[in-house]
Amino acid sequence: MKDQVAVIGVGCTKFGDRFERSYEELIADAAFDAYADAGIEPAEIDAAYLGTYLPGAGGGKAAVSLGDALRLYDRPITRVENYCATGTDAFRNGCLAVAAGVADVVLVLGAEKLKDRGGRGIPRLGHPLLARGNTAPGLFALAANRYMHTFGLGRETLARVAVKNHHNGALNDKAHLRMEVTAEQVLKAPIIAWPFGLFDCCPTTDGAAAAIICRADRARRFKRDPVLVKGAGLAVTTGRPYFDPTFDYLGFRSTQAAARQAYAMAGVGPRDIDFAEVHDCFTWTEISNIEDLGFCAKGEGGRLVEEGRTALDGDIPVNPSGGLKSFGHPIGASGVRMIYECVTQLRGEAGARQVKHPELGLAHNVGGPGAVSCVVVLGRG
Amino acid sequence: MVGITRIATYVPRRRLDRTVLGQTWGTRVAPGRRSVAGLDEDPLTMAVDAVLACLDDADPAGFDALYFVSTSSPYLEKQVASVVATATDLPRTTAVADFGGSVRAGVAALRVALDGVRAGSLRNVLVAAADARLAEPESELEPVLGDGAAAVAVGRDRVIAEFVSAASVAEEFTYFWRTDEQRTVQVTEPRFGSSYGYARDVAEAVTAALRKAEVPPASVAGLALGAPDERTAAEAAKRAGCDPGRQLVPSLGSEVGVLGAPDPLALLARSLETAAPGDFLVVAGYGEGADALVFRATDALPASRPRPLADRLAHALPVTSYGRFLKARGLVPAETAGEPVTSIIEWKELAQDVRLHGSRCEACGLVQYPQTRVCIGCQARDRLVGHKLAKRGTVFTYTIDNLAPVAEHPLPMAVIDLEGGGRLYLQVTDAADGEVKVGTPVELTFRRLHEAGGNRHYFWKARPVL
Repeated sequence: MKDQVAVIGVGCTKFGDRFERSYEELIADAAFDAYADAGIEPAEIDAAYLGTYLPGAGGGKAAVSLGDALRLYDRPITRVENYCATGTDAFRNGCLAVAAGVADVVLVLGAEKLKDRGGRGIPRLGHPLLARGNTAPGLFALAANRYMHTFGLGRETLARVAVKNHHNGALNDKAHLRMEVTAEQVLKAPIIAWPFGLFDCCPTTDGAAAAIICRADRARRFKRDPVLVKGAGLAVTTGRPYFDPTFDYLGFRSTQAAARQAYAMAGVGPRDIDFAEVHDCFTWTEISNIEDLGFCAKGEGGRLVEEGRTALDGDIPVNPSGGLKSFGHPIGASGVRMIYECVTQLRGEAGARQVKHPELGLAHNVGGPGAVSCVVVLGRG
Repeated sequence: MVGITRIATYVPRRRLDRTVLGQTWGTRVAPGRRSVAGLDEDPLTMAVDAVLACLDDADPAGFDALYFVSTSSPYLEKQVASVVATATDLPRTTAVADFGGSVRAGVAALRVALDGVRAGSLRNVLVAAADARLAEPESELEPVLGDGAAAVAVGRDRVIAEFVSAASVAEEFTYFWRTDEQRTVQVTEPRFGSSYGYARDVAEAVTAALRKAEVPPASVAGLALGAPDERTAAEAAKRAGCDPGRQLVPSLGSEVGVLGAPDPLALLARSLETAAPGDFLVVAGYGEGADALVFRATDALPASRPRPLADRLAHALPVTSYGRFLKARGLVPAETAGEPVTSIIEWKELAQDVRLHGSRCEACGLVQYPQTRVCIGCQARDRLVGHKLAKRGTVFTYTIDNLAPVAEHPLPMAVIDLEGGGRLYLQVTDAADGEVKVGTPVELTFRRLHEAGGNRHYFWKARPVL
C-alpha cells in the first residue's frame, strides 16, 4: 500500500464542549472543511468510512449517520469502531479500499459527541460483575502504577507531559484546552485515579475531523500537494489484560506490533520519524507509547520527556497539536484529527506549532487499554 | 461422638465509637464501640466470610448440609443458604435451609444440626448465623446493636466440643419484633422484657439442659448467653444457679455490640479460645422462649482452637460520623450504576462467578480466569479444565479510583495474582488509606457489588490481609 494512497484534503472542527452543535452538524462541519481543502464536490466521493466509538441519541450507531449528515447516499459507507483506535482504523480502512482499487476518492470521517452524555462522558460497558469498578483512567492507572513501581518514576515526570502538551495546545486555535499549565498545577490537581490527577487526564470532548484520500497516481489533479500514506498497522491483543497472568503491565504489545507493521510497510524505522501524534489519553500513556513506538528503549520514555527531546523543538517532537491532553479526545474523531495534524505539519502550515521541515510523521492510537493499536506513517509527496 | 468440630466468628472491620451517637443525639451512651457492616456487607456476605473462616483449610466437599440463620436476611423470598453453600464451594448435594424469625434461631439451628448428625441423617453440617439489624435512629437500641456472623461446623470426627444435652422452652412473649413492613427492630418495655421474658425463659432452658446432662450449675466453665445486655445476662445466669462474675462468658457488648442470631455462637467461640478439655460449656439463645445446649470440651480442643476474637477485632476502621454510619448501613440513598445480572448469566456462570472457578490449561498448565474455550497462554483449544482458585494472593498492580460509579470513594481496584495461579481484577474493600500497594497480600471476600433490575448482585472483592 506504500505510496499508493494520497491525502488530498483534511478538515477539523473546533474541539471542545460543543453543546451548540449536534453530532451530525459536527460531521458536516468537518466534511465540508475537507471538501474545500481538497477542492472537490461531494459527488466525487466514491465511498466513506465513519469512525465513531459510542453511538448516542444524536446518531453514530451506523453508517447512515454520515449519509444523513452529508446527504451522501447511494454509495458504500461503513462505520468503524475499534475502541480508541477507531479514528485511525477508519482511516486505515479507507486506505485499504483505495489501494484495493475499489474506490478512487474516499472520505474518512471521525466524529464523537461525548458531552451529550452528561458529566462522566463514557459509560461503562461489558460484564455486569467482572472488572466492575473499572474506569478509563483507572485501567491506564493500573499500568502506570506497575510501570512507575518498576522503573522508579514519579508523578513529577508524568507532569512534564501535561506541561508540554498544554503548551503546544495553547498554540492551536482548534484545541479544547487552550491554556498553559505548570508542573505544580498538575501535581496539585485533584486525583482522578492514582497516580493520575485531573491534569494527567485528557478531557471529555466533542469534535469531528475528516480526511479525503485518493489513488496516489491521481492526486496531482486536486488542488493541494498530496501527502502520501507510507505505512499503516493495526494490532489487537487481549481486552482484559487484567486477567492475563503473563502480562507485565510495562507497555502495550499491540502498539509494538502495529508499529512494526507500519514501519515495515513504509520501509523506515522509528529514527526516520520527524514528529509523532501519539495517544496521550493520560500522561503516562505518552511515556510508555513513545517506548513502544521505538523512539527510545523501554523505561527511558520519562527521560526523553524530561530532556525536552519530545518538545516542539526537540529531536522527536511528540504531539505538536497539543495531543489528546490539550486538543481533546472525542474518541472516534481523535485518530482522524491526528491525520489532520500530520498533514498540516507535513504541508508546513502549522503556524506557531510548526515542526521544522518534517518529511515523515506518525499517528498512533491505543485503546482498551492495550487491546487495540493503530499506527499510520505519512510522508510528503 | 457428636459435636462441634470447628467454629469461627466474623466481625466487620468498621467500628463506630458510641460517643459519635452520644454527640449526635445529645444522649448518654454506654462506652465502647459497635461493629458496622459496610455498604457492601449484609448477613449473606458475612455468613460467607464466617464459613470461609470456619472451613479454613478443610475440604468443603466433606459437608452435606448448610443452615443459614438471620433475622435480617437480604431476602424475604429466595434462599440464602444455597448462595452461601455455593460461594463456599460446598457440593451440589448439600442440604440447605434458612432459619430466622428470631435471634433465637442461631442456637435453634445449631440444635437441629446436632440432632441431624446424632440421628445419622447428616455427616457434617455448617451453621452460619449472621445479622445486621437496624435500630430506629436515636433509639436506645441504636448504640447497642452490632453486626457480625458466626459459623459452626458440626460432625463426628475431630470434635472439639462434645454435644451433651439440649433443652427448649416455647413461650409466646413479645419482646423484640419487626413486621414485614418495618425496617427497624421494635422493642417492648425493656425492664419487663428482660426479667419476665429473657431471664425467666433462658434460666428455665439452661436449668433443664444441665439437669439432663447431670451437670451441677456450679460446674459450668462458661455460660454463653446471647442477651440484650450484660445485666440481663447476669440475671438469667443467677436464676440458673450460676455465678455471673465467674461463669458468664464476657459479652461482646463493649467491643462489637449485640449481634443477634450469631451472638451466643460468637460467645461460645470465645469460650472455646480458653476452655480446658473436660470443661462444660452452655450456650443459650432467646426469643419467644429459649434453647440451651450443653457441650463438653474434648482433648482435641487445644490443637484446634478458634482464632482469637481479639485478632479479628484488631485493625478496626473507624466510622467517624453519624452520616457515614447511616451510609454504611444503607440508610442514605447511594447512587450505584450497574447492569442487572440476569438469571441466565447467573446460571451459566455460576461456577465462574460464585464458586470462583477458573481454568487450567492441560496443554501448558497456565491457570487463568475467566473460563474460556481457548488458552490465553498457548492458544490450545478446549484443553481448559475447571480449576478452583485460591482465595489469597498479592497485588500485582492497583489504582485508587475517584471516578467509578460506586457509592463510596476512593475505590481501590487491584490486579491480583492468586496463590497457585490465576489473575483477578477486583475492587478492594475494607482498606485503610495507604494499605493497597504493589505487593500487598490480600484475601477474597464475597460482597454485595451493586443493585440493578430490582435485585442485589454479589461478587468477590479483595481485602488486605492484616
